[in-house]
Amino acid sequence: MISTVIAVIVLALLAVSVVLAVVRIVQGPTAADSAVAGDLIFFAFIGVVAVFGLLFSIEAVIDIILVAAILGFLSILSLARLLQGGQR
Amino acid sequence: MNAELVVSVIGNGFLVLGAVIIASAAIGIIKLPDLYTRTSAIGTAAGLGVALIIVGVVTLDFSVLNFIKGIIAIIAQVLTSAVGSFALARSGYLTGSRPVATTVPDELADSADHDAIDAQRALRDIEGDSPTHET
Repeated sequence: MISTVIAVIVLALLAVSVVLAVVRIVQGPTAADSAVAGDLIFFAFIGVVAVFGLLFSIEAVIDIILVAAILGFLSILSLARLLQGGQR
Repeated sequence: MNAELVVSVIGNGFLVLGAVIIASAAIGIIKLPDLYTRTSAIGTAAGLGVALIIVGVVTLDFSVLNFIKGIIAIIAQVLTSAVGSFALARSGYLTGSRPVATTVPDELADSADHDAIDAQRALRDIEGDSPTHET
């Protein structure tokens, strides 16, 4: 069982990470910098899902994390393909 | 009771450690000077941070099935984080994101035509079809 203080600390750290990544998305010089920051936001969101699933004792939290860890890769590859206009 | 307390402390410690590593990656994405150093920070730190968070979740919510799912998720996370970072850095290079000036061996230089890409971007700015970011 997760303690509430630890949950608050972890959520605060992840929120700071998301805010810094949004700053990089806004002022990034190229589109690739924004794509990297979006990747970081996705990883932080996996952490947020894990903390809330433990707080409310949801049974399927490890399944959600497993699907996110496997399929988040496809979004990054799609962004990389999109940056080049569809060519490899 | 005592064993439960020890397991809970270990799991919460793994969660906090993963969150600290993700926050360090976020600090790196602000402070580092270049697309490639930022990509390195994300690929290593975020992959390891998510792996530690998965370890914490499995420790706090333990069963044999969850252990197997956690192992699969950690392997997938580490591998795909590295491959995705590589693909993103390569496409950034080919679309004209310049490395910082201290980068000495530049083996992809014949694939990217930086001057042509800059001219194309300036032409697009003049025509008013402005991209999302100013160069």
